[in-house]
Amino acid sequence: MNLILGIILFLLMISIDKKRGLKLFMSLVLNFLILIILFSLIAVGINPIICSILACLAVSYIILFMVNGDNVKTRTSFVSVIVVLMILTILIFMMTNLSRIAGFGYESLEEINMFSYDVRIDFTEIAISLILISLIGATVDASIAISSALFEVHKNNKHLSKKELFQSGMNIGKDILCTTSNTLLFAFLGDFMTLVIWYYMSKYSFLDIINSKTFVEELMKILFSAIGCVLIIPITSYVTSTSLLKENSK
Amino acid sequence: MKKRLKVLLLIMITGILLVFVYHNDRFYSEEIMKIKKIETIEKDTSTNSLGLKEEYQTKKIIGYITNGEKKGKKEEVLYEESYSSVVTEKYQVGDKVFIKDNEIDGLKRDFYITLLISIFILLIYIVGEYKGLLSLVSVILNIMIFYIGLFLYFKGINLLLLCITESILFSILSLGISNGWNKKTQSAIVSSITTIIMIAMVVGVIAKTTHYSGIYFNELQFLTVPPEDVLLPELLIGCMGAVMDVAITISSALSELIEKNKKISKEKLQESSKEIGKDIMSTMTNVLFFTYLCAGLPLFVLAIRNGYSMTQYLTTNYSLEITRFLVGSIGIIATIPISTIISIHLLKGEKI
Repeated sequence: MNLILGIILFLLMISIDKKRGLKLFMSLVLNFLILIILFSLIAVGINPIICSILACLAVSYIILFMVNGDNVKTRTSFVSVIVVLMILTILIFMMTNLSRIAGFGYESLEEINMFSYDVRIDFTEIAISLILISLIGATVDASIAISSALFEVHKNNKHLSKKELFQSGMNIGKDILCTTSNTLLFAFLGDFMTLVIWYYMSKYSFLDIINSKTFVEELMKILFSAIGCVLIIPITSYVTSTSLLKENSK
Repeated sequence: MKKRLKVLLLIMITGILLVFVYHNDRFYSEEIMKIKKIETIEKDTSTNSLGLKEEYQTKKIIGYITNGEKKGKKEEVLYEESYSSVVTEKYQVGDKVFIKDNEIDGLKRDFYITLLISIFILLIYIVGEYKGLLSLVSVILNIMIFYIGLFLYFKGINLLLLCITESILFSILSLGISNGWNKKTQSAIVSSITTIIMIAMVVGVIAKTTHYSGIYFNELQFLTVPPEDVLLPELLIGCMGAVMDVAITISSALSELIEKNKKISKEKLQESSKEIGKDIMSTMTNVLFFTYLCAGLPLFVLAIRNGYSMTQYLTTNYSLEITRFLVGSIGIIATIPISTIISIHLLKGEKI
């Protein structure tokens, strides 16, 4: 069934635009390979946090430079993504350690009971890297949207000051915020549906749910993806407006 | 200046809320213990079939009860902690934990989740101002509809039917709130509903003809309802957000073009919407790619470290995540031509 769906997806991509669709499909395959390599490296026992930060960088490199080409827009986006990643890594590290969302909750016990739990790998670090990688796509997406829009603004209005450019970047960002938060929300709601049905059947109360590991973990994943999207707006606006004006004065 | 004052006010409100949540123990019927002291009593290692040595520590956790009849009383429990914390947790002094039958029944996490939500709301207000809060309102309304829908499902209404009805409500609400009630919103709503129904039919037909071959419902196994019933609605809800996102982008771009040049031809419009579509399709599919496909990481590590091969994992436990991603992306890309046709028809046909 997945094969058929994959073929449909490929055909749709090609039908929109041959060159771009092919490129996109290739980048997805490449991203998938990176993901699998990352998963395997973590499973072998290499530090998950370092691995996933490197994977995030590789992925943003592919999305930005391979799909969108090497130019001022993508370079400023890349820098902004790195800054956001650094800030978020610290925040995620703190929150994951505090709320102890590592490992599996009661809900998944049935799914994992065929495995032995003696695996000697710290699942706290795995939870951190999971959150890190799941936010990278949305963050890069928001970043490139802002930097290319700002680039257009700058091209058409060369006289704009840095402050004005930054402000228009923030305005564009506000529009993106609304749509991206919706995309993320629904992607996670789909997952949530099974969980909520499970909670209902196990007769969980509201208080039980907000303290349960699986629920908190899922919610943190959404929130961090969303926080990544929010943080990238001012940072990209700042970096792009600075570098555009620098380029101008050269 | 005014904004700064509002931010300050918001910080104060969240501060009060956080203090309240931290001290809300009395609202729980389960006993809560605040940990004062942790002693390691015993250390043990156990080896699994691959020779991986796992360390276990039995700990004596001492604390006092903070709610209920036994409030203020000292309590001692034993807890076995593991290095990997696959199913256990590592507690520290100062943590609040639930106690059930003299055993620890998980950490009290409500404080941390409130903290992160507060950070998020503050950030969204600082960056997005009024619009940011508006998107928050639409998120909350959507969650409420989602919850009501599930409630009706438990009452016995068909889930697929509910999801399609819900998706109509979702699109009207979120698109209406963020873009106002106008022609471009209406055409975006019509396009997203059309796309969702089409995807429901296409995926439904594929699922029926292939009998869900290659999909393993491990993840959904814990449900007492047949997993097939839940899968399709879940997939539809999952791609709903992305579909609406693409639909509104295309319809507002087209309405912009029509407004600038009222005599613009249909072919020209199709051309430009294709250009826009090219740009969004790559970024949006990447968003879905990572949000969905990462979810399998913990299980992957567990499976590999138990001696399972990668292909075994990819074809069984991972198949559902891949399906989610594929259906979501198909949704995104199918929206581009569908919303182009509908937008041109609605926006041009009405002769604005």
